[in-house]
Amino acid sequence: MMTRDLLALGPMLITAGGAVVLLLALAVCRSHAFASAWSVLVLAAALAAIPMTWPGAPASGDLLNLLAIDSWALAFWGIIFGSALVVCLLGFEYFRPLAVQAEEFYVLVLLSATGAAVLAAADHFATVFLGLELLSVSLFALAAYRRDQAISIEAGIKYLVLAGTSSALLLFGLALLYFHTASLRLSGLAGPLLAGHPDTIALYAGIALVLVAMGFKLGLAPMHVWTPDVYQGSPAPVSALVGSVSKAGAMAFMVRLAGVTLTGTPGVRNGVFYGLLVLAIASMFTGNLLALRQPNIKRLLAYSSIAHMGYCLLAVLPMAAGAALDRQAVFYYMLAHAVSILGAFGCVCAASENGREAQHVEDYRGLAWRRPVLAGVFSLMLLSLAGIPLTAGFLGKFYVLASGVRNALWLPAVCLVINSGIGLFYYLRVLGTLYQREEAESPDQFATSTAPSALLQPSPQLLLTHLTLAALVVLLIYFGLMPALASLPM
Amino acid sequence: MALALAAEGPIWPLGVYFVLVVVLAAGILAFSYVLGQRHRQQATDVPYESGMTPTGGARLRFPVDFYLVAMFFVIFDLESVFLFVWAVAVRELGWAGYVEVLIFMAVLLAALAYLWRSGALDWRASGSKPAPDKERGQ
Amino acid sequence: MIPEALILVPLLTGLACLLAKASPRAVRTLAMQGTLATLALAVLLWLVHMKWLAIDPLTARSLLELNLPWIPALGVSLHLAPNGLSVLMVLLTALLGVLSVAVSWRGITQRVGFFHFNLLLILAGILGVFQAMDLFAFYFFWEVMLVPMYFLIDVWGHENRHYAAIKFFLFTQVSGLLMLLAILALYFLHGRSSGAYTFDVARLVDTPLPSPVAFGLLLGFFAAFAVKLPAVPLHTWLADAHTEAPTAGSVILAGLMLKTGAYGMLQFLWLLFPLAALDFAPAARVLGVVGILYGAMLSFAQFDLKRLVAYTSVSHMGFVLLGIFTPNELAWQGAVMQMLCHGLGTGGLFILVGYLSDRLHTRDMRAMGGLWASCPRMGGAAMFLAMAALGLPGMGSFVGEILILIGVFHVSPVLAIVASGGLVLATVYALWMMQQVFHGREKVRAADLRRTELGVLAVLIVLLIYLGVYPKNVFDTFNSTIKHSRTFNSLMQQSQIEDP
Repeated sequence: MMTRDLLALGPMLITAGGAVVLLLALAVCRSHAFASAWSVLVLAAALAAIPMTWPGAPASGDLLNLLAIDSWALAFWGIIFGSALVVCLLGFEYFRPLAVQAEEFYVLVLLSATGAAVLAAADHFATVFLGLELLSVSLFALAAYRRDQAISIEAGIKYLVLAGTSSALLLFGLALLYFHTASLRLSGLAGPLLAGHPDTIALYAGIALVLVAMGFKLGLAPMHVWTPDVYQGSPAPVSALVGSVSKAGAMAFMVRLAGVTLTGTPGVRNGVFYGLLVLAIASMFTGNLLALRQPNIKRLLAYSSIAHMGYCLLAVLPMAAGAALDRQAVFYYMLAHAVSILGAFGCVCAASENGREAQHVEDYRGLAWRRPVLAGVFSLMLLSLAGIPLTAGFLGKFYVLASGVRNALWLPAVCLVINSGIGLFYYLRVLGTLYQREEAESPDQFATSTAPSALLQPSPQLLLTHLTLAALVVLLIYFGLMPALASLPM
Repeated sequence: MALALAAEGPIWPLGVYFVLVVVLAAGILAFSYVLGQRHRQQATDVPYESGMTPTGGARLRFPVDFYLVAMFFVIFDLESVFLFVWAVAVRELGWAGYVEVLIFMAVLLAALAYLWRSGALDWRASGSKPAPDKERGQ
Repeated sequence: MIPEALILVPLLTGLACLLAKASPRAVRTLAMQGTLATLALAVLLWLVHMKWLAIDPLTARSLLELNLPWIPALGVSLHLAPNGLSVLMVLLTALLGVLSVAVSWRGITQRVGFFHFNLLLILAGILGVFQAMDLFAFYFFWEVMLVPMYFLIDVWGHENRHYAAIKFFLFTQVSGLLMLLAILALYFLHGRSSGAYTFDVARLVDTPLPSPVAFGLLLGFFAAFAVKLPAVPLHTWLADAHTEAPTAGSVILAGLMLKTGAYGMLQFLWLLFPLAALDFAPAARVLGVVGILYGAMLSFAQFDLKRLVAYTSVSHMGFVLLGIFTPNELAWQGAVMQMLCHGLGTGGLFILVGYLSDRLHTRDMRAMGGLWASCPRMGGAAMFLAMAALGLPGMGSFVGEILILIGVFHVSPVLAIVASGGLVLATVYALWMMQQVFHGREKVRAADLRRTELGVLAVLIVLLIYLGVYPKNVFDTFNSTIKHSRTFNSLMQQSQIEDP
């Protein structure tokens, strides 16, 4: 019994234990290289442990109460640990030239990944709150990690205040749900909701509060205001972490919540359904419209991720039927989004020099002729975010649209189409800037060679970042052509 | 049982209470705004309207190391609460519980060792120390 | 065997162009070899399709068809199976591919590798569109060609290129997504009724659809095709994109990309939604006629030579739209002929305009005049192409237009009469263009065409004349498709019943 539980918890135990060991190691001797290598190793081990745990031997009683380590959770653990791994790889060369102590960064990344993993598997109000807090508290510190910059501290404090508020709302909501159902288990919600208990205001308010708290974590439209500031202020690897790990964990839980509530009494079902519908459509429009004229690339990516979460909700809406296709659509969308957003922020890392981040779209003008390979990678990531074929983003969008069409959700599906058009406009604006001709160039400069070969070589300071980006490109195209992972049973 | 009774009780008094709170707060603010007198004189916006004129800025830098230590105390103090919970049920929990508490203690000790080694407990520190690691607050 | 080679050869050549650290000249040579190989493959495809298929169907089928499972969980397969219509379009694509590499030989001096990568990637995408018989794969290729086209316009285009590139991308992408919605709806409807979820066109044909649903789906497809075609209210991207694109880009846009829209209508709309298409046909025919007249009038109003040629496309593709939505054999043959001749003729005109503006550094007709004196060879070639544009007998476009008009006359005499007004307008703008640029007082002088340049145009002119005097090859190739088409036969019966 114990062994089976330990095996099921394996990946999470590895990251949590890895963080503590790293903390102890830092007490003995500080080394940036060791800290990053160790965390990469820990996350790789956690990733490797996932297939061993698959397909998830049903855990025993105690564990079953707290966590549901099913294929759904394990699939999202893959996204979470993989993304955290990429963030650690990007962080090494990002923090190396900076004056800040970088070792704690890895501890915090490991802890936030653990928190997201708990949230993704949470089946009990206690674990929901625990996971969310572990994730948020690590992210406060991470967002404010560049203490040499006021904007980073501002991001940290904003996130602290708003995430604190949303945690309070979540707690209140969970308390109200407990008040109504007398059960602390999420799946326990289903019983009372179905059994025809009279709906009370407490039930509605509880569900609404929990939805709001999760909407905050996902950056859905009315709760989105923190996103651009935090994305902009945080160090680029942390922005990548917020865009991938934290979103994946919260979306995994959102689907569980939707799966339970959307099978409830008609009142609850309609409330949650239309609530999510409004959130989805509002997020699509808000994110895309605000991104249209945004000159800061990190803020632009933040707004784009707001819209993307809205798109993804389209596949959450039909969760009542609980069809595997809809779950697979959500999973694949989050996977594709994680790869693209990690790649995009990886490019921001790679384009930054001497601790100054290349944040402004103007910093990228003509990048294609200075660093063609990097510009090519960035273009691919942007195209993936825009959902153009050959990239993972296309198949993600395809799956989500398929889910919407299958369930005849025409309104949000058409909104998605319209918003893809709006979104395309700003992706193309950035893309066009990348390939803009510099006015001063003379034709003969390019007549001899398409690009000076020196520029094709990655600079040795950024070797690891470039290798990581190369791996992401391979993943992006592989996921864009061969969606084998989308067929996992869920 | 109590829970079930509470669930069946009417919830509207809570709403009335909430409305009353809002009305009261808004009323006090509104009345003081309407009824209060206003004056604008030379010393109106000065911190001590009837006292001495302040000199110098209020934004002084002063070391806040005491606050770090206070925070660590709160954190570790709170963690020890879990030990009491375990102590109450130590026989029922058996060896498995013992091992779990040991792990818990080990994590706490690791955090303490980290704090100690990184100089956060150093009272004389002059601000060159790393930030308190907040995640241990969990 | 051949279909995937047709896609892989340009794709791999394009990648080689991008990655090779070679001199621009070597890159151009490489691209030329790649497109020539594609052309050879296309001819081979045609030969196999026409000759071998009748003799040894089994071997020929294995050469002509590819069916690989792609996403088995969803029933997506990479199914390439060119039929007669596809073969004609593939031939046109491969030929224009060679020519567009040729015309870029001197014009493109910057980032040669990246330019040819984009060019060849577009060709690969278009070849995929023309051969795909799986709707997912079709949509995939449909979208793949947008990005490199965007780059062609945005990087190598003229003054207003950013605006034009984004407009082009937005129009095609959004309409494409509407088509994707329709494809998905069809997929699920078919899956629910038959239990087999598949994107394969051949199996989706039998989907029982209530008529309002079929009509809605048809509109989804039509939106995407009509933007590409372009049909009138959706044509505004065309003038900007064609005008701002570099010469090779304009050739590909006008010669090939517009054809993908027409191809989609002819290949899929009638096949998938025959009854809905029959209901929709009168409206589409009116759109076609409006396009013919409106495009011609806009064309006459332009001073920018490239814009003028761009608007002739709207007019000519109006004929194609008219022909496609006239369900009889004459009109369809005419539409296919018109597609081919428009690809060759308008491609030629864009090449010519490219040569002119390279020499004069302007496209404004008011600054031109009397060029015949200094460049008679260019004038002669332009005369030929202008005659092709106005549909002079002996040129392929005459055959196409007259067949369409006869076909339409069977169905709707009024529309045929109005549409033939387009021929008059075409004469007006074609001669107006000749007169402004080559005749009159000599305002500018320019160097005449070089031999290679003349060669490029000569290929097009010879083909136009060949199609004009001996169109049988085209008819036979296309016939091999429609004669076996169940939809076509049932349509023929229906339209005969409806039109006494």
